Amino acid sequence: MYRIKSSFISVLTIVLALLVSCEDLDELNVNPNGVDPEKADPNLLMATIITSVGQSVVSLGYGDVAGVMQHTQKDGWSGGHNDYDWDHNDKSWAGYYSILRNSDELYKKSDDLELDFHKGVALVMEAYSFGLITDLWGDAPYSAALNGEAGGEENLKPVFDAQKDIYLGILADLETANTLLSEESSAYSGIIPSQDVLYGGDVSKWRKFANSLALRYYMRLSEKEPGIAEAGINNITSDSDKYPLITVAADDANMDYIGSSLSDSWPTNTVFDQSTTGSYFRVKMCATLVEAMQALNDPRLAIWANKIEYALVLEPGWEDDRDEIIGNERHFAQNIADDYEAAWNNTLNYDPEWVGIPPSLSAAPQYNLNPYLEQAVYNPHVSQLNDIYKETSGPLLKSRMMSAAEVNFILAEAALYGWITGDAETYYNAGVQESLKAWGAGDSYDVYIAGATFAGLEEIIEQKWIASWTAAAEAWFDYRRTGMPALQTGETAKRQALPLRFYYHWDDEITLNPVNAQAAIDALEPTIFAAPDNKNSAWSKMWLLQGTGKPY
Amino acid sequence: MKYKHLLPKLTKRFLTILAFATVFTGIIPVDASGWNNNESVRNLENQQPFRVSGKVTSSIDGMSVPGVTIIVKGTQIGAITNSNGDYTIEVPGSDVILVYSYVGYETQEVAVEGRSLINIELNESIEMLEEVVVTALGIKREEKSLGYSVGKVAGEELTRVAQENVLNSISGKVSGVTINSTGGTGSSVSMVIRGATSLSSDNQPLFVVDGIPLSNTVNNIGGFGDDNRVDYGNAISDLDPENIENVSILKGPSAAALYGTRAGNGVVLITTKTAKDMEGVKVSVISNTVFDIPSKFLNVQSQFSSGFFSFRPEDVGGGILPDINASDGTGNGPENDRGYWAVQWDAPLDANGVPVPTEVVSYPDNVKNFVNTGFTTTNSVAVSNSSEAVNYRLGFTNMSNNGLIPNSDLFKNSLSLSASTKVHKKLTISTNINLSRSWSNNRPSSNRGTNPLQWAYSVPANIDIQKLEDYWVPGKEGSVVRSVSSNHENPYFLANEVNNSFTRNRNYGNLVADWQVLPSFNIMGRFTLDQSDEVRETKMAPGYSKEPNNGAYGIVDLTRSERNVDILATYNKDWEAISLSISAGGNALYNKYSSISNSSKSGTGLIVPNVFNVQNISSASLNYSNNWSQRGIYSVYALANFAWKGILYMDLTARNDWSSTLPPENRSYFYPSASLSVLVNEIFNMGKQMNMLKLRGGWAMVGNDTSPYSLYPVYGNSGQWGDAIRLNKPGTLLTPDLKPEEATSLEFGTDLRMFNNRLRFEGTYYTVDNRNQILGNIPLAASSGFTRKKLNAGLLQSKGWELMLGVTPVRRGNWNWDLDLNFTKNETRIIELDEGVDVIEFWSENKSKSYGYAVNDETGEDGLVGNIYSSRIKRVTDQNSPYYGYPLIGEGLDAEWLAEEEKVKVGNFNPDFIMGLQTQLSYKSFTLSMTFDWRHGGQYMSQTQRYMSESVMTQTWLDNLIHPGDLGPGEELRNWVIANADAFLLSENLRPIGGPTPEYGGFPESFSGVQVYDATFAPGVVGYHDEDGNFILDHENLGGAGTTFLPYVVSFPWDFGTPSMFDADYIKLREISITYQLPNSISSKAKMQNVSFSIYSRNIMLWTKDSAFGIDPERAFQAETSSGNRGTQFKQGIERYNVDPWVIPIGFKIGVTF
Repeated sequence: MYRIKSSFISVLTIVLALLVSCEDLDELNVNPNGVDPEKADPNLLMATIITSVGQSVVSLGYGDVAGVMQHTQKDGWSGGHNDYDWDHNDKSWAGYYSILRNSDELYKKSDDLELDFHKGVALVMEAYSFGLITDLWGDAPYSAALNGEAGGEENLKPVFDAQKDIYLGILADLETANTLLSEESSAYSGIIPSQDVLYGGDVSKWRKFANSLALRYYMRLSEKEPGIAEAGINNITSDSDKYPLITVAADDANMDYIGSSLSDSWPTNTVFDQSTTGSYFRVKMCATLVEAMQALNDPRLAIWANKIEYALVLEPGWEDDRDEIIGNERHFAQNIADDYEAAWNNTLNYDPEWVGIPPSLSAAPQYNLNPYLEQAVYNPHVSQLNDIYKETSGPLLKSRMMSAAEVNFILAEAALYGWITGDAETYYNAGVQESLKAWGAGDSYDVYIAGATFAGLEEIIEQKWIASWTAAAEAWFDYRRTGMPALQTGETAKRQALPLRFYYHWDDEITLNPVNAQAAIDALEPTIFAAPDNKNSAWSKMWLLQGTGKPY
Repeated sequence: MKYKHLLPKLTKRFLTILAFATVFTGIIPVDASGWNNNESVRNLENQQPFRVSGKVTSSIDGMSVPGVTIIVKGTQIGAITNSNGDYTIEVPGSDVILVYSYVGYETQEVAVEGRSLINIELNESIEMLEEVVVTALGIKREEKSLGYSVGKVAGEELTRVAQENVLNSISGKVSGVTINSTGGTGSSVSMVIRGATSLSSDNQPLFVVDGIPLSNTVNNIGGFGDDNRVDYGNAISDLDPENIENVSILKGPSAAALYGTRAGNGVVLITTKTAKDMEGVKVSVISNTVFDIPSKFLNVQSQFSSGFFSFRPEDVGGGILPDINASDGTGNGPENDRGYWAVQWDAPLDANGVPVPTEVVSYPDNVKNFVNTGFTTTNSVAVSNSSEAVNYRLGFTNMSNNGLIPNSDLFKNSLSLSASTKVHKKLTISTNINLSRSWSNNRPSSNRGTNPLQWAYSVPANIDIQKLEDYWVPGKEGSVVRSVSSNHENPYFLANEVNNSFTRNRNYGNLVADWQVLPSFNIMGRFTLDQSDEVRETKMAPGYSKEPNNGAYGIVDLTRSERNVDILATYNKDWEAISLSISAGGNALYNKYSSISNSSKSGTGLIVPNVFNVQNISSASLNYSNNWSQRGIYSVYALANFAWKGILYMDLTARNDWSSTLPPENRSYFYPSASLSVLVNEIFNMGKQMNMLKLRGGWAMVGNDTSPYSLYPVYGNSGQWGDAIRLNKPGTLLTPDLKPEEATSLEFGTDLRMFNNRLRFEGTYYTVDNRNQILGNIPLAASSGFTRKKLNAGLLQSKGWELMLGVTPVRRGNWNWDLDLNFTKNETRIIELDEGVDVIEFWSENKSKSYGYAVNDETGEDGLVGNIYSSRIKRVTDQNSPYYGYPLIGEGLDAEWLAEEEKVKVGNFNPDFIMGLQTQLSYKSFTLSMTFDWRHGGQYMSQTQRYMSESVMTQTWLDNLIHPGDLGPGEELRNWVIANADAFLLSENLRPIGGPTPEYGGFPESFSGVQVYDATFAPGVVGYHDEDGNFILDHENLGGAGTTFLPYVVSFPWDFGTPSMFDADYIKLREISITYQLPNSISSKAKMQNVSFSIYSRNIMLWTKDSAFGIDPERAFQAETSSGNRGTQFKQGIERYNVDPWVIPIGFKIGVTF
C-alpha cells in the first residue's frame, strides 16, 4: 500500500515537474534560421546587389531586347524575342525593386556605420536600377518607393514620380557617390574585396563607374532636355580629376560568371541545360547584325557567332528533288529552292560563312532550308552563337554594365554636338578600339578602323549598337533617342515598328496601386502603332520621347 | 453518488451497443462480454453441462428476431439466433443466467433455472437514444445532453472496406466534412470541416488520438531534381484503422473550444481499441486483399500520328508519306490505320543504312499497357486480455501496396499497445503506445517533369509504348535512354530509374494517471508524445533530360515532435433535480520541427552516375540547408456542465492560452463558449412515437496564434557567388505586433428520433466569423520595395447547413435495411480584408487566377473563397457596328481569338453542396453496405487538357470543332457563319471552324508547296476601337475574303483558361461491400467465435457532369514544392497531370476471432 502511494506521488511529481519546467516563451520565438539584420555586416548584402544587377543586364540585353535590337533572333518560343509580343502580364519590375530594397538597406546600414565606400556602392547600384526602371517603363515610384516598412497607404501604394525627376534624382545620387568615393583607398574601412564582385573593393574604379553612369543619363536627356544634357556632360568632362571616367577597357564595369550551378552561370550554357531545344539552341544570330558586321569585316563576328556548318549551293542543272551534302556544302536542285521560297515566303541565303535569321520572320525555325523542322533546334544553315556561349563561364562571358567604349562613344556624340571640346572622331576611334580590346580583338584595330571610318552620328550609334552585344538595352535606349540604327521589323512583329518601352505590369502596380498607376498610364502618349492597346502600350511614348519626333 | 453508477452504466450500454453492432455487421469479432459478475463465474465450476434452446421474438410485431446474441453471463460462451429466431446454447450449468441482446432492443437477462426451452420476447429499446459520444478532452457524454453537433463514425465503419488512409473511410459518412484525395494510393488526403475558415493555412483539423494531438498537414510535397514533385502522403495515414474503436468529429468551435488554438478547423477525436472488461484472452485476425483494376483513361485521340500536317499520299503525289517525327510533339500527323506508310521513329535500316518506311498504325491502349493493376494486402492481428489486475491489447498490422505505376509501392507496419492497471482502488494508470513505420522504395512523382504518366500520355498514337519498356539503349545501359525523340522522356525509365523513397518512423503514446480522490472528485494527469522521423531520398539515374549531368541525388531528414502535459481535475455533484460537473485543467504544449537537407543543385548532377550519396556531389553543386523551429503554448481551462431533470443541459467552457509565436503584449488570449440543449419531448408529452426532440444552440470563440518566427525578419541566403556571400533582405513584410486570430461561431440545431428510432434527423445551421486572420500572402505593389505582407486582416465569414436523415424502412424477420443521408452546404465569404488591401491570390495558372476579393456591392464581388477568374473573349463593343458582339481576332499567324485584359469570375472551386448516402441491407448472415458521395456545383481547371489540346492530342478538342459541311472558303461560308452567329460568334465557347481532314471539313492550306486539307479558322473580325469607341474594321475573319486559315495543329486558344475549365459535379460509390457471417453453429465447431468474409469495392466514379476528358474532379489539386506563402502545397481547383487512371478496385476480406 505504501509502495503504491509513493509511486502515485512520484508520478504526480513528474507530471508537475514537467508542467513547471516550461521554456521561456520569448526565447522560443527567436528565429535560428537566418541572420539578424541588426547584427549583419553590410558587406554581406553587397554581392547580392551587384550580381542581381549584373544578371538583369544580361537578361535584358542578351534576352528579348537583343531580339528587339536585332542582335539575335529565336526560332522557337520566339514571340517575346522576335515579335515584341508583350503585354501587361510580361516584364515585371518587381525584380528591380527587389534589388533596390537591398541596396536601400545597404545604404542605410552603411550610413549608420559611416562606411562611405559601401554608401557609394549602394548609391551607384541604386542609380543603375532606378535608371533601368525609368528607361524601360517611364514614370515610376521613386521618391515614395521602398518605404513599405513604414506602412500606410502612401507607402504601400507609392505615388509615381515624373520621369524627369527620376533622372535628376539619379544624377544627384551619382554626384553624391562621386564625392563619397573620392578619398584615397586608405581612408576607407570595412571593405571586403571578395564581396565586391565587380571591382574587388577598388574605390577609384567605382568612382569612375559613378561618373560614367552620370554621363550615360545626361546623354539620355540629349533630345528632350538638351540644356541639362549639355551642362551635365560639360561639367563632368571639364574636370577629369574631380570626375574620372571609365576610358579604358581594363576599367569596364564587368561582372564575371562563376559557372558552378545554373544560378551563377551564363544563361545559355549547355552544361546545365542539355536539351536539344535548350536556351543555347533556340537563339540564332540576327541577319541585321550579321550583315552590318560583314560589311565592316568586323573581327568580333567570329567571336560572337559560329560560321554555318553547311553553305547552300543551288544547282540549277540538277534533276528535281536532288539534294546532297558535298563537303561542307549542301547542293540542291532548283525545284527545292523554288518550293522552299514559295512555301515560306522568304529567300534563301547563299552566304558561305555567316547567315543570320531576318527579324520577325514567320519561318524562323525553317529558315534557310533547315532540315530539322522542330522549333528551336540546331540549324546547320544558320549561324549559331559562338561555342563560348555554351560555357558556364569564361573570360568573355561577363555582364557588361558599363564600358569604356560606351563612354568614348558618348563623348564622341557630345563633341559632335559641340558640347565638349575635343574631336568627335578621336573619341569615336577610341570607342571602337576599347570595344575591340574588350572582346580580345584589339590587334585588329588598325585594319578595322580603316574600313569603319567616322562620318557622323550614324557611325557612332552603329558602333555603339554593335559594341552593346549581350548588353543591348543601351542600344535600344539610343535607338529611341536617335532613331538609329534605322531598324525595320518583319512580318510577324506585333506592330510594324520597334517597341519603345515595357508595359506597366498588371500584378506589379495596376491592380495593387491602381490610382497612381493609372495616372502614369494617362501620362503616356500613344503612337500610331499603339492601337489596339490602350495608352499602356509598348508603342506609347514616355515623357523622355514625347515631342522629340524620335525614333518615329 | 449517482455518478458512480452512471459511468459503468454508460460504459456498459456503450459496450453493448458496440458489441451488437459488431455482431450485426460481422466485421469485428464478437465481443462476448456481458457485464461481469464474479460470483456467477465461480458458481459454474462444479456444474454439469446443459443445453438450452428457444425462439426470440419481437414484442412489437411478434416476428422472430435473427441475429440475437445469447451469452452465458460471466463467460465467453455464446450463441446467435438463426434466421427463424431460434437458438441453441450449451450452458455449463442449470443455474446460469443468459443475456439476450440485439441492436435496437433492450437487453434481457434470464435465469435458466433448469429450463431447456426458453422463449424470449425482446422489447425495442428507447435507451438507444442515449448514445454516448466522446467529446473534448475525451469526456464521454450522452449525446442528448450536447448543445452542438458531433459527427460519429464507429470503428467497424472505417474498416468495412480497407483504405490505406483512414480519412478516406470517413468520406461520405459525416455531414459537414469534405474529404478529397489529391491522388492515388499513398497521396495526401485533405479533410476540411465546415469549409475553409482560414486563408493562410491548409485548413486541416486537429487530430487527437487517445488524448495525443497528432500533427497532420497536406504539405507533403518533396522530391529533389528539376521538376520532380512527389507527394509523400499525410502522416495521419500512420494511423491503423483496425486499431480504431470510434471517431468523433467536433465540427464547430463550440465543441472544440477546449482544444484551443489549433481547434479552429475542428477536431477529430479518435479513440483506439482497448481490452474489454474481464473478457479474457481474445485473438482476432483480419486479412484484406485489394486489386485496383484500371478502368478509365484520358480521352486522347489515336486517329492521328505525330506531326504538324495530316498529309495523305495523294497530297504528296502518292506513295510514301514524309517522315513522321515524334519530336514534333503534336498529334496532327498523317492518319493511322489507313494503310499509309512512312519512315517512323523506329524504322528499320536497309543494307545501306537508309531507314525503311513502315505502316502507320495506331496504338490506342498505350497508357493501359503502361500501368499495372494495383495490389494491396493488409493483414492484422490483435491480442487482448482483460483481468482484474491488468487490461491490455496488442495489435499489429502490416500493409503492402504495389501501385498502378510500375515500380511504385508503399508499406506500413504498425504496432500498438494499450494497457491499464489499477495500482490502487483509487488510482488507475494507463498507457497507450503506438509505433509505426511507413516506407516506400518509390513514390511516383506528380505534376510535370518526372511524372511517368505525363510521358506515357505523350507517346504519339503511332508508337507502341511497349517498345520503350527496355529503356536503356543496348550497350549503353545505365547511361543512355531509349526515347521516341530527343524531347520526349521515356516513361518506363522515369518509373524505374527516378526513385523517390521514404521511410517514416512515428511513435506516439501517452501515460495517464487517474486518481479518484473522492467519489465526486478526481484528478487526471497525462503526458503525451508524438514524434516522427522521416527520411526522404531521391535517386535519379542519368537519362532525364532536365538532369543532364549524371542524374541527381538528394536526401532530407525531417523530424517533428510534440509533447503535451495535462492536468485536469473534475468535481461532480448531483442534487434532486440538478447535476453538476466542473472541471479545471492546464496544458503545456511544446513542439519542435527540424530538417536537414542535402542535394545536388538543379541540373548540376553527380560526379559519377548511379552512386547515390552526398559525397558524390561536387561542392559547388551541393545544396545544403537545415532549419528548425519550436513553439510553446501554455493554457489553463475550465468547463462546467449543468443538467436539470434530464430536460435542460448547459455547458460552459473557458480557456486562456499563452503562445510563444505572438508578441508578449498580445500573447495571452482568452476565449469562452456556451451551449444549451433542451429535450422538448421530456417537457411535453409528444406520444409514444416521439423518442426524442432536442433543440440546441451554442456560441463559442476560439483564439489562434501564428507560425513561429512571424514577427521579425531575418536575412535570407541567396547562395554564394564564387567566394562572395550573398545575403538578402526578404521581400515579405512582417508585422511585429500581430494579434491572435479570433473565430466566433454560432450554431443552432435540432435532433429528432421517432418510431423507435427508425426515423432519425439532425439539422444544424452555423456561422463562423473569423477575425484578425493572420495572412502571410497579402500582395503589395512592387514599388513599395516589398511584394508580400504578413498581417492581421479582415473578416471571413462561413455559413452552412448540415443535415442528417436516417431511416430504417425495413426491420422485420430476417431483413433489416438502414438508410442514412447527410447533406453539407458551406459558403465562405471574405467580408473585409485590410485597409489598402483589395485582393489576395490563391494561385495563378492556366491564364487564370484564383483570387479572393472582399465582398463589394459596387464592383459586384461576391467575396466567395475559391473564385476563379479568367479572361473572356475580346469583342466588338461598338453597338452601332454591324459586328457588335463579334470576337476580335488577331492578325496574320495570330489569327486567334483575343483575350480581354481584365479577368472576370468564371467559376469557383468549392462545391455548392455535398451529400453522402449510406445504406445497409442485411438478410440472415448477409449484409450489403454501400456509401455514396455526391458533389454538386463548383468547377476546376485541367492543365493536362490544356497542354494536350494545344498539342492536338485530345479527342475532346477534335470533338469541339465546328464542321462547316460542304462549304469551302467564300461568301457562302461567311453567310452561314453569320446565320449561326449565336452559336459561333456570340457564345463564350471557343470553337474553331474546320478540322484536320476533309472529313472534318478541313479547309485547304499549303505547306512547302503541298496542299493539305487540315485548316481551321477562328470566326470573328480584325480591327480596333478608336478613341470614341467606334469599331474600325480592318477585315472580316468569317470564312470569306480576308479570312486567315491556319492548320488545325495551331487551333487551340492558348490564351484562354476557360476551354480547360470543367464542372466538378460527380457521384462516387465510395464503398460497396457484401459480408457473409459464418453462422455461430458452424464457427463454434471450429473453436472460433466469429468468422466473416467480405467482398468489396471502393471509390468508383459513377457519374460526372462534365468529364469528357476523364479527369477525376476530386483530384483537382496541383502539387507544388512550394505554393506561395499560404501554408499549403496544393493548389486547389486546378490540376496538372494528376491523371492516374480511374480504377475499379476489387477487395476481399476475411476476419476470424478465436
